Amino acid sequence: MFKKLLLLLAIIVVGAHAIEEQNIQSVMAQKTKQMTKILKDKSLSMREKEKRCIKIVDPVFSYKTMAKIALGKEWKKLSKAEKETFTKRFEKKMKHSYIDKLKLYKNQKVVVEAPKKVKKNRIKLTTKIIGNNETYKIVNSFFKKKHTNQWYIYDVNLAGVSVMQTYRKQFAAFLKTKSFQALLDSLKI
Amino acid sequence: MRLYYLLSILLIISFQGCSTNQITISSKKTLQVETKKESEEDTENFDDEFTQEQDTVKDDPLSGYNRFMTSFNDTLFIYLADPISKGYATVFPEVLRLGISNFIHNIEFPIRFTNTLLQGKLQYSADELERFIANSTLGIGGIFNPASTIMHIPAHNEDFGQTLGYYGVGAGYHVVLPFIGPSNIRDIIGLVGDGYLSPLMYDKALKELRIPQNYLQSAGIYGFKMVNKNALHLGAYESLKKDAIDLYPFLRDIYEQKRTSEIEE
Repeated sequence: MFKKLLLLLAIIVVGAHAIEEQNIQSVMAQKTKQMTKILKDKSLSMREKEKRCIKIVDPVFSYKTMAKIALGKEWKKLSKAEKETFTKRFEKKMKHSYIDKLKLYKNQKVVVEAPKKVKKNRIKLTTKIIGNNETYKIVNSFFKKKHTNQWYIYDVNLAGVSVMQTYRKQFAAFLKTKSFQALLDSLKI
Repeated sequence: MRLYYLLSILLIISFQGCSTNQITISSKKTLQVETKKESEEDTENFDDEFTQEQDTVKDDPLSGYNRFMTSFNDTLFIYLADPISKGYATVFPEVLRLGISNFIHNIEFPIRFTNTLLQGKLQYSADELERFIANSTLGIGGIFNPASTIMHIPAHNEDFGQTLGYYGVGAGYHVVLPFIGPSNIRDIIGLVGDGYLSPLMYDKALKELRIPQNYLQSAGIYGFKMVNKNALHLGAYESLKKDAIDLYPFLRDIYEQKRTSEIEE
């Protein structure tokens, strides 16, 4: 009984926070399973589906890291308050975009492959979306948080296109001619 | 800190054994220090994984034309191709659209087969040949796709642009083509090359091997192919577009990233 309780506790802890290295594949497979189940559920409204899906994947993403990567060199030039505002807006934008992509899911089979450790503190996890006549590859990139065994996603690669790389280039080009404030405004949804 | 160095030297010496000379130890020591530094400070440094070059006019001399063509294609898509696809999708059920998509894919087999051969990827060529035979026979002329659904033979979408890239040909300037969309010099040459192999492309000298008997029919077939494809992916372009701050560079980057990763595979 105690063991079961402990296991339950462990699952809850894992669910609420980042993932440990040895659990990456199982936790992500679990999350994927939960999400496809939600998306297939006809009794739920699209809005409800989105809310539930975001709740599932939210703890795995490090939005701060993503915001930092997206801004690149410009990040260091910002004040603390600016960094916070930007991170918040960017997080919202990312979630919005993520939700939007979920709408495109049409009962395809989803396979989470074994993680690949590319560096000591980087892991790539490939998920295949197998449709009727096409297969898409999604690669989630994880990094290890300093002095911990907590892993977070910092980039998603959709069919060969890195989401972070795309934002980074766009923001760099934008800030070349326009102000930071204008960038913040453009992130408003 | 000094104690740490001393300790690490001691540790290295003990691992190296007694015969190691002084020079090896010192080089090992710096190595040790470097990896230590990386694990603590650079674990959250991502700069080497992403680029941030600013695009200059030199990299994209056609940007003026490309921008114009991007908005032309965008307008065409939103106001013409998309409504047609939506209407088409309501008339033709998904099963039928899939069948058409499968049929077109199957008939373009010579492109994939030739390009896998040209790249020396013989396993891929064998896969493609097997797929073609299975889908043409069991799949009733390619309308069904038993090669994927039953036999699980992977498809390999190799084209001539990828073959050129495989042999080190650079992308060249980015060019947005009317109706077709983002491309570059290498991929345009690729498209022309693949045109010689495609049974869907009119060719005077190879008339017997082609379905269209003139260029107009060819254009019609490609237009139909696009509508059918879009009808299977309704909303995908609109969804993608929402992530763009500036549509032209956004689509350009996505295209070039995608092609690079396709060539690497």
